[in-house]
Amino acid sequence: MFFRKSIAVKNEDVLRALGQINDPDLNKDIVTLGFVKSLEILGGEVKVTIELTTPACPVKEQLKTQAEDLISKIPNVKKVEVTMTAQVRPPQGQAPGNRILLPHVKNLIAVASGKGGVGKSTVTVNLAVALAQTGAKVGLLDADIYGPSIPLMMGTRKERVLQDGAKLLPIESHGIKMMSMGYAVEEGKPVIWRGPMVHGALTQFLSQTDWGELDYLLIDLPPGTGDAQLTISQTAPVTGAIIVTTPQEVSLIDARKGLSMFQSVKIPILGIVENMAGFICGHCQETTHIFLQSGGEKLAHEAQVPFLGSLPLDPKVAQAGDTGTPVVALNPDSEVAKLYKAMAGKVAALLSVRSMNQQGEAFKPLEMTWQS
Amino acid sequence: MAELISAVYPVQLRQVGGKNLGIVWNDGHNSFYNVRKLRLACKCAGCIEEWTNRPILDEKSVPQEVHPKKMETMGRYALRFDWSDGHTTGIYTFENLRKLCECPQCRTASV
Repeated sequence: MFFRKSIAVKNEDVLRALGQINDPDLNKDIVTLGFVKSLEILGGEVKVTIELTTPACPVKEQLKTQAEDLISKIPNVKKVEVTMTAQVRPPQGQAPGNRILLPHVKNLIAVASGKGGVGKSTVTVNLAVALAQTGAKVGLLDADIYGPSIPLMMGTRKERVLQDGAKLLPIESHGIKMMSMGYAVEEGKPVIWRGPMVHGALTQFLSQTDWGELDYLLIDLPPGTGDAQLTISQTAPVTGAIIVTTPQEVSLIDARKGLSMFQSVKIPILGIVENMAGFICGHCQETTHIFLQSGGEKLAHEAQVPFLGSLPLDPKVAQAGDTGTPVVALNPDSEVAKLYKAMAGKVAALLSVRSMNQQGEAFKPLEMTWQS
Repeated sequence: MAELISAVYPVQLRQVGGKNLGIVWNDGHNSFYNVRKLRLACKCAGCIEEWTNRPILDEKSVPQEVHPKKMETMGRYALRFDWSDGHTTGIYTFENLRKLCECPQCRTASV
């Protein structure tokens, strides 16, 4: 009679078992993917830590159960302990939390709205042209990756982005330097991307475009409070935001959310623009308030931010946009163009007052390395 | 226009010995933090369960000598830390950092 020494479980047995588990999103097994962070074997007791790429992984529990089942089937295993953790990894080729510094851009202005279809891009291109007409150097970044409309509105839909080494050369029209997803993809083709790709494209457009010296760089954001807004507010030195809304409650409700998002990431609100405020009949000259009245002004009052002005619903504005020449450039003496110019003046004044009135030291991005 | 100038933000970050971090703010306040306490106060989704707010960071898993390797501002509202224990996802808003301040003045104020 002799005692057989209990056979210890081997690392490779456990890894072989875990190698049978596939991550359904990445379509590779979790060992190859490097998700097994630690493995401890004490006699018949196995302790494993599996690190996922997001704490919100929908199959976390399923992977854990699979791991427990497979390890417990290995001969001589008496006890299994699987711990699930997560470490969100930065997209490849990109330093975590990288910041975009635009030292040659004096003012970076985000134009946003909560709701879509309020004429945000129309307002942005006309403001940009009105600012440029004052002699300022102006750039325009179309941050709407899925529905870029700047190329059409600025008459540049056939233009394609050119690269000079690592630099992207902006497209120029009506005195404005522009970058848009519309210059990077074939016209009419949809961009079908998830959030991280949007983040990558935006940071690249912002940081690699050869903007040169600019007095104002306007960012035309897509509607909502999602990936594009977060990327811009976390990585770029935004000077202030303009919120565009139409006067009725269904738009104001979303505009409030936009406002509150910028407030929570500490981006100053330069003011609110009310668009499509009234329609002047071409026959009888009477004004009809299609989307009600003065909602934008009320919102500005409620949020204690400047009201930048009210713009009418004017078919000439839409026509001008569709033909590729913003109304401010096409009919600089029209009533609506005058409203845009007044608005541009207000924005410019607010920004200069702001830079003069800054109390104490101005905000500057900081970084520090710990000395151990 | 009050809005445009009221926000607090750091103007200087400094290391105080091996275990403490100092932050000087634009309003002149001098904050002081023990770095391990700061690591344990991380609010990211890996440390606090996203939907339930349940703490999931095991204090014992954080080394006693944990310290930031690098820190940098995120936009104009937060600081992000690269910690020596490999943790990189924590974003500390300026507001939260002011609440976590351990300077004698803030400590007496919060009692």
